[in-house]
Amino acid sequence: MTEHPLDDLGAYALGALDQPDRERVEAHARGCAQCAAEISGYSTALTVYAAAVDRPVAPELRERIVTRHRRGNAFVSWLWRPMPAALPIALTIALVASLASAVVARREADGYAAALAGVADGRVVALQNTGELAGARGSLVIPQAGSPYLVLAMPAPPPGRAWEAWVLRDGRPIAAGIAAPRNGVLTVVLETPFQAGDGVAVTHEPAGGVAAPTSPAVLALART
Amino acid sequence: MEISTRPIDDEQLIVRVAQRDAEALGDLYDRHGRLVFGVLYRMLGSRESAEEVAQDAFHAVWQRASTYRADRGAVRAWLVTIARNKAIDWRRTKGKRQEREFQIDAAPELVDASRPEEEALTMIRDERVRAVVAGLPGEQRAALELAYWGGLSQSEIAERTGVPLGTVKSRVRMAMTKLREQLAGEGVGT
Repeated sequence: MTEHPLDDLGAYALGALDQPDRERVEAHARGCAQCAAEISGYSTALTVYAAAVDRPVAPELRERIVTRHRRGNAFVSWLWRPMPAALPIALTIALVASLASAVVARREADGYAAALAGVADGRVVALQNTGELAGARGSLVIPQAGSPYLVLAMPAPPPGRAWEAWVLRDGRPIAAGIAAPRNGVLTVVLETPFQAGDGVAVTHEPAGGVAAPTSPAVLALART
Repeated sequence: MEISTRPIDDEQLIVRVAQRDAEALGDLYDRHGRLVFGVLYRMLGSRESAEEVAQDAFHAVWQRASTYRADRGAVRAWLVTIARNKAIDWRRTKGKRQEREFQIDAAPELVDASRPEEEALTMIRDERVRAVVAGLPGEQRAALELAYWGGLSQSEIAERTGVPLGTVKSRVRMAMTKLREQLAGEGVGT
């Protein structure tokens, strides 16, 4: 156990520590109930402070939040559902533009292969191409330590769009993160805790992600 | 069989959210949405921005509910922390950081006066909290407000104010200690 960072606990709760100090305090507090309780005390005081300052209301906001997530429960079988006519056209245009350069495509493929070749201590499971996007490939990497992640061989999405990953649990998709380039290849570290038997999928969504998929899966793995 | 009539507490709501219960998320919003929105409105300076980030924040709660740990703090504080982090991210990614003066004033057109008795009690309590903050030495209060509402780190405060980093750290530390102790002394904090 390192020395208690007592002088920094208030600033940590305030969100005022710079990254190295924040990470140091976080690491300490994970194993120190005493400091975690101190941080909790400061956070509670700040919440009381915040509540005393502004009391605005946004009456319609509640419904938007609930409706957005209620839709997430209405999952049936979006994985393989037909895509509305307008979407594949828009998607195709964007993807053709992205895939037009053979050089880009080859570089993506090289990055994908290199990323998977570098997996030394984990299980790699290939995702199935659903037929929505020819040539798209991806793999789920389940390392012995750390969070599972996806490695994708896909074109970068056009502006305003993103590749969103989903963990499939009991037939339901749970948002798990947005693909981002890392070392020359698109990857997604799954934000949703991954359990044995879960599946994964990747869809084409608005930038920033959505709570429930709005398009069919491009890549999928029903179960692990 | 005895049927419990005890209200569902926040932690039970979080469990239900983790089980993908959207109505439980709505219940959380009913309890804490006004606070979350208020913090975001003050940090971001516009209703539109606050609403956008509030939706992001509750979506993050939806995604992370299973990671909530009660031994690390109350749900209410957890929600506010998520919302503040979202606001800071939003400003950094969208480049909309605003040079605002952080005045402690309400937004009259947004105040809900539909429950006057409850509002009156709340106003009394809030007045005591504001008095505690107003009683902090000016430089400590400024550091606290720049960090909390401005989303600035201690080094950013030092850079912005021209005050040495060590001095900023000292002011933040003293402000936080006094805030916590005096709110507890007033019976409105920990």
